[in-house]
Amino acid sequence: MSIQDLIEKTKVSFCQDCGVCTGSCPVSRVLPGFSPQQMVAKYVLSSDLGMEDEVLGEQDVWSCLTCALCLQRCPSKVEYLEFVRGVREEAFRAGNKITHAHDGILQTITQMQTSGLPQNRTAWAREAGTIKEEGEYYLFVGCVPYFDVLFKDMGVSPLGSASDMLKILNKFGIEPVVSDEERCCGHDMLWSGNVDLFKELALHNVELIKRLGCKKVIFGCPEGYLTFKEYYPLYCTDMGLDAVHFYDLVYDQIQEGTFQLSPLEQKVTYHDPCRLGRMAGMYDSPREIIASIPGIKFVEMERNREEAVCCGISCWANCSSYSKQIQMDRIKEAEATGADTLITACPKCNIHFSCALSSAEMGLEVKDLTQLMASAMGI
Amino acid sequence: MNKEVLVIGGGIAGIQACLDLADQGMTVYLVERLPSIGGKMAQLDKTFPTNDCSICIMGPKLFEVERHPNTQLLTYTEVEEVSGEAGNFTVKVRKKPRYVEEDKCTACGLCADKCPVAVPDQFNMGMSTRKAIYKYFPQGIPSVYTIDDSACRIFKGKKCNICAKICEAKAVNYEQKETVFELNVGAIIVATGFEVFDPSDIKPYGYRTIPDVITAMEFERLLNASGPTGGHLERPSSLKIKAEIRQLEKQIKKAKTRLKSLEKKSEESGDETRKALEEMNERLPVLQAKGASLEELRDIAFVQCVGSRDLRYNAHCCSYGCMHSVKEAVVATEHGSELQSTIFLTDMRAYGKGFHQYCLRGASEYGIQFVRGRVAEIGVGDDGRPAVWCEDMDTRKVEERPFDLVVLATACVPSKGIENLSSMIGFDLDENGFVKTDPNKPANTSVKGIFVCGCAEGPMDIPSSVSMASAAASMAVQTVKAL
Repeated sequence: MSIQDLIEKTKVSFCQDCGVCTGSCPVSRVLPGFSPQQMVAKYVLSSDLGMEDEVLGEQDVWSCLTCALCLQRCPSKVEYLEFVRGVREEAFRAGNKITHAHDGILQTITQMQTSGLPQNRTAWAREAGTIKEEGEYYLFVGCVPYFDVLFKDMGVSPLGSASDMLKILNKFGIEPVVSDEERCCGHDMLWSGNVDLFKELALHNVELIKRLGCKKVIFGCPEGYLTFKEYYPLYCTDMGLDAVHFYDLVYDQIQEGTFQLSPLEQKVTYHDPCRLGRMAGMYDSPREIIASIPGIKFVEMERNREEAVCCGISCWANCSSYSKQIQMDRIKEAEATGADTLITACPKCNIHFSCALSSAEMGLEVKDLTQLMASAMGI
Repeated sequence: MNKEVLVIGGGIAGIQACLDLADQGMTVYLVERLPSIGGKMAQLDKTFPTNDCSICIMGPKLFEVERHPNTQLLTYTEVEEVSGEAGNFTVKVRKKPRYVEEDKCTACGLCADKCPVAVPDQFNMGMSTRKAIYKYFPQGIPSVYTIDDSACRIFKGKKCNICAKICEAKAVNYEQKETVFELNVGAIIVATGFEVFDPSDIKPYGYRTIPDVITAMEFERLLNASGPTGGHLERPSSLKIKAEIRQLEKQIKKAKTRLKSLEKKSEESGDETRKALEEMNERLPVLQAKGASLEELRDIAFVQCVGSRDLRYNAHCCSYGCMHSVKEAVVATEHGSELQSTIFLTDMRAYGKGFHQYCLRGASEYGIQFVRGRVAEIGVGDDGRPAVWCEDMDTRKVEERPFDLVVLATACVPSKGIENLSSMIGFDLDENGFVKTDPNKPANTSVKGIFVCGCAEGPMDIPSSVSMASAAASMAVQTVKAL
């Protein structure tokens, strides 16, 4: 889509030039010169002057965390995220690429998944619980098996969360399908401008899940959930599949009172992941789950729910000093609540906060909500 | 056919319409739901761009409404039903009981002096208290007291008749009942005004959670000589500490008396009280020091477009916010010359006569700083003061700036009762919830014989409200006389 069409589509011309986006942007606070408002102004001007190609090579479009805080606050409801996504698509086409973190290993893994290499994605699941070959529910595991290998040193266990999720599902009487043929959900490709690769992954996953006869797809990862729910339908017509977040399932079971929880003596706070909170609108289920555990003391951070701040990185890209500062600010905010544990609901947030904490001396622990739930259930 | 006219709403627009009609020989009923007429203008300290005292302009008009032979003032009264058509409307109104006989009360105020119940004073935006028997504001018309039956002890089944006993005019009447009656009028003017937008809806601004973040209307009361501070410019946190100090001093006094009587019995029986007293005596100087540090107000931030020009809340511009912030900054500087005011604005809309000059004067004579940039969020700075996060659109810098006080220029939103009134009478509302008018006849609503003026039609300043009121009055006269 041309930049001019993009400006039209995302209502960029509604911008009042007021600066609320930049004043709210977590990146602008730590990276002087980065300004969402200026970026918009730049593209509008370049489009007017017919100089789009010249600005498409610039780096600032990759500095955005796509955290949606500006979108939340924009008085003109400019669809800033869609604008950035569109510009990234064009920039990628023009050969301008995002700066990868971790030497690009995570992007390589995604790329390799489109080559038809056989993967062993189910061995852990057979050990952890009961899965089926076909059935109503599909459990979308996503990239956590890879994260587990890459970030083990940091003391995180993304696959542990997946195992716990499967065990909890089994307790609810759900024996989901898990498949070796599943591929990355494509979230990072979508937000890195590589829309062709994203499409390939999306179509593959939808075709696979349909072939297995599943109707409902369970997600534990906010990115997978959001991508499947909001962005797959853009490219896959007649999906006929329901995306269900694991926490909504758990919350339903809590309301029905189907299981017993043992007390946990902890004081916890909760970090809203951008994809789950602002973008998917899920604020209550995670909080209700925490509140249902006896003995737990829950405290909110100063910036919570719609106003929560990003964990500092998206798409495994641009990890730098400014990401660290955003993470440290957030961790300090969590510590200021007096909580001993920072609960996250996203494997990436979990990894990023754990990384930041590894170089700081704080009496704070980062824990995944599913793992917290599992310990209260005695799993 | 009926030649009488009803005006609904006793703010500046309704008052002007009422006076214009009365002067033209029409009989006018002015209905006001509050105990006194005056409306929002009565709450303002000064008016822009002339810095005139608001109540001084308004006071004579209030009197005139009451004294004019052609007006009938119906305060504490609400419209319940409207039927009929232009030239012949039947209006059912309900007058709430004041429990004070209007014709007997001399407004001497003895009752309020002695009344034991204090509740937050709505007129002072809850920043001070009033008694259960009260006058809505000192210059309020009619000049009579009213018993608030939601606060008065009598209406809670408790024993008390202090006000009735002390009233020399024998005006208090706990048995007074509400009255419902009908008016027959030829035309109706809707002047129901507006509501101040509640900024607690905007979470990042921290209104009610961060101390010393207040609305423009609250600030007006803080500036005003009849306001909660008697016109001494103070921040709410300082008022709060002062109240705590007073409370503590009272407790200390009580404890001292108690200790004395206990010591008479035996030395040991006073131990506990002595300990508590020592603790309180230690706490007092700490509070006093904190209070003293809050006494002086050095800088104020004005945050523009709070809930206005914002598709999430109100798409429309409040039209007076830019100017009232300049005015408040000017008046604040007159209270304390060392004070620095900074106005954070989307863009300065100084469109009216003399407005632009007023802004320039604000900058040159009063040192007001204008920062172009809408405030993104308000937090608590390291020094405990409210801190404003904003991108300065001229320097393109994102900065956190702490201030002693942050004043929110809140949006102008339709009054709460307007929807009900519109369905009762049948006139249309526009997309923002204000009364829809004919572009060629700006005071005409969609119903013949029903006119509108002031902020019921849309956000506007005082001079515009007044001229629109005259227009509505003139249209009402034309309608009634033509029939």
